[in-house]
Amino acid sequence: MSSPEPPSAPSRLHEAAVALAMYLGCIVVALFISAVIVSATGGSWQAVFSALLDGSLRAQGRWGETIGIAIPLVVVALGTAINSRAGLVNIGQEGQLMMGAAFAAYVGVRMAGFGPLAVVCLLLAGILGGAIWAGIASGLLYWRRVPEVLTTLLLITVASQATGYGLKVEWLLLAPFREDRSVRNQVSEQLADDTRLPRLDLWGNDFPISAVAVVIMAAVVLVLFRRSVWGFRMKMLGRNSRTAQRAGVSSVRYGTWAMLISGGCAGLAGAFMFSGGDFGNYRFTPGFSNNIGWEGLLVALVARQHPVGIVVMAFSFAGLRAGSGFLAATGVEREISQVVQALLVLALLVPPALLFIRERRRALAATRART
Amino acid sequence: MADKPAAGTEVPAVRLTSITKSFGAIVACDHVDLTLHRGRIHGILGENGAGKSTLMKVLIGLVLPDGGTIEVDGEPCQIRDPHDAAERGIGMVHQHFSLVNPLTVWENVMLGDTGRFDAAAARRRVAEISERYGLGVDADARVGDLTAGVRQRVEIIKCLRRDPSILIFDEPTSVLTPAESDRLFEVLRQAVYEENRAVALVSHKLDEILHATDEVTIMRTGAVVDRMVTAEADAPILARAMVGREVSLRSEASALGLVAELAGEGADEGAEAETEGRTPVLRLRGVTARGPDGRVSLDGLSLDVFSHEVVGVAGVEGNGQTALTDLLSSLLAVEAGAVEVDGAPVEPNRPGAMARAGVAVIPEDRHASGCVLDMTVAENLFLVDLNRIASRGFFDPALMRREAGRLISEFEIQTAGPDAPFWSLSGGNQQRVVLARELSYAPKVLVAAQPTHGLDVGAIEWMTSRLRAVADSGVGVLLISSELEEILQLSDRIAVLFRGRVIGEMSRGEVDLEELGLLMGGAGAAEPVPA
Repeated sequence: MSSPEPPSAPSRLHEAAVALAMYLGCIVVALFISAVIVSATGGSWQAVFSALLDGSLRAQGRWGETIGIAIPLVVVALGTAINSRAGLVNIGQEGQLMMGAAFAAYVGVRMAGFGPLAVVCLLLAGILGGAIWAGIASGLLYWRRVPEVLTTLLLITVASQATGYGLKVEWLLLAPFREDRSVRNQVSEQLADDTRLPRLDLWGNDFPISAVAVVIMAAVVLVLFRRSVWGFRMKMLGRNSRTAQRAGVSSVRYGTWAMLISGGCAGLAGAFMFSGGDFGNYRFTPGFSNNIGWEGLLVALVARQHPVGIVVMAFSFAGLRAGSGFLAATGVEREISQVVQALLVLALLVPPALLFIRERRRALAATRART
Repeated sequence: MADKPAAGTEVPAVRLTSITKSFGAIVACDHVDLTLHRGRIHGILGENGAGKSTLMKVLIGLVLPDGGTIEVDGEPCQIRDPHDAAERGIGMVHQHFSLVNPLTVWENVMLGDTGRFDAAAARRRVAEISERYGLGVDADARVGDLTAGVRQRVEIIKCLRRDPSILIFDEPTSVLTPAESDRLFEVLRQAVYEENRAVALVSHKLDEILHATDEVTIMRTGAVVDRMVTAEADAPILARAMVGREVSLRSEASALGLVAELAGEGADEGAEAETEGRTPVLRLRGVTARGPDGRVSLDGLSLDVFSHEVVGVAGVEGNGQTALTDLLSSLLAVEAGAVEVDGAPVEPNRPGAMARAGVAVIPEDRHASGCVLDMTVAENLFLVDLNRIASRGFFDPALMRREAGRLISEFEIQTAGPDAPFWSLSGGNQQRVVLARELSYAPKVLVAAQPTHGLDVGAIEWMTSRLRAVADSGVGVLLISSELEEILQLSDRIAVLFRGRVIGEMSRGEVDLEELGLLMGGAGAAEPVPA
């Protein structure tokens, strides 16, 4: 796969080939170690890999499932790419996503019968919920210099408690009591049929229409990063805030926007999950976020904030998630199958770290050569 | 303890003979002799880069000399590191504090100690020293909460705790207010006269040397140019010796010629008349600001710059140069005062306001506010005014690359290309990128802060001729430099900055080096300049 490039001039094509080779190498190594572990514990590694492949792609309707999981991962990761570009660290996507889903549930359930208008409103409500949650962190940052790493992280707990409370009272999220339900759970009303996101069906694989929106979003972010003045200024702010201020970039204004957009994306991811159908069957429950926020953050890190990389990585992570559902049927111990999954995640994490170290080394070498 | 033996008979505390030290091609100390006696404060006077600090670092063991001998109390010795120096009773209070802010005073004093650790004894010792010298330092105070003056007293305690017989103070007042300086000298005198210690006071401030020392050694370009008893000297004598015939390490001969030419010129009155009645391109009025430590960094600074002229801001480093550059880069919040560019008021500290008004800046530390190391050369060329190649908020990267290529060839920037990362350039080429960008948006004012710092000779010449050409094209240039030679070579008018304000101005025609040296030392600020 590696293209023959002159080693003296590391072109972009060459760099991409090196990166791809690293990924392939790491995955091969991870698969090999997994095979050894599974065989050593008496399992069949062929069965394990086959199950992973079946669950994510091969079996009937499974790649539609994978796309369904990838949708919120992409949205969360795109938002993360934006705040990272501005030099801010948002690690509270899990909470922002939860708030977005809760807002969407509140609006969506109450707008039954309004059709597409309701869908638009519930998506906007999701964005609002996530943006408010990230906005608290950015407000504290610029008002009182509270590190955003801490506030975004701690607000996850607050979000889970707040939504938990919302699911205990009927005037917020709790479904009204009905005679036919014996046990009263913390669960919201189900979203009405007409206020759900339409689902597409391709060769027996169905997934919500938000998949199209997500690809468009990734393209928009790519253009913003590559060609917009706004993206350029965000980048400047993230890499040298003093130079940015001198050049007219207000760290408060651009930083606040970055955080609001990042939180809004996480919130939108929550709204997509709630109205898409792949998570929670159109009902909002405690623990609805299901680690998608964390995984989206991971996707952004692994893809090094590149929109195209984010789409690819989100699909890979979603595939692993979908595929792991089939592992139980192989008879391999659950602990072992989890080790296999963790190894594959690690295989995706190592190349970006290696690439990062390589860049630093070059920078250092260049600095030394100058002095 | 107070009876002082006559200078000739006693064994000197320290005798440095023919100390030589060079760094590459630069000779920092060239056969320097220095003798310190007990019971006396010995001033070491010289401009920045005269070699005083290097000499002191030799004495404290931070720098190993290439040649020469050191005698302590008449005994020849080698000082390999500060530990060696401490054992021989030599202690130094450094110019820059080395304190850990979150720790308390006594904890800071104990830092670096080995062996058993006795907190109570350490606290007692700090209190005792503080008491004896009247330092008024609370052993349990957190260092981060203290003012610069008190922090320096903590450094002094750190030094005195080991009871050194030979004390070195390196530019001790550079971070102090006048009152704090007076306080410091009282302590110094006590330590010297009552306890018979020897003190070396390194300074470039005339006042300080005149007020605090008993004898003085004057250094210039690595060599001792004069020695005198302070009582027999006065400010003009010291200034002449220190600034002297403006000799630079770089280009001795040309500088000599230049100074003679400057002194005899006096032909700029025509240019002066022209500025009458014109609106300055940059006008600062009563600008006052504080640094992050609460110290006043600009103190009612007023200054005008007209188009077509280079105004040189001379002054010893640390007198507000950094704050002035920050102000003109929209990086400084001011307490009072006004800034006008071409007659229109500009709001300071509003991001980008200065740049939009037409104030271009070559900052002193380009890595801090002049570039983004992790972006490409092309991107760095468009940091300030991307809108020039953008429409409706979007730009074409191909156009950016083309425009960057044009600037790269125009300014002869040596780089692999527009897409090369900025950090891959050499210092001189980075500076060219900054200059190219700053000139590309047709500024009205160009602020150049230490524009030749850290550049090699060729790059310096290039930069100097460019600055002159920029002024000739109609831009007002404000040159902030601690290199007096650079200022004299380029400026039409010279303003002297001292403690955050302009304390004197002279046109190129009326430059009097002696007066300039006095002003830079702050002599003019406190008292009338002696004729």
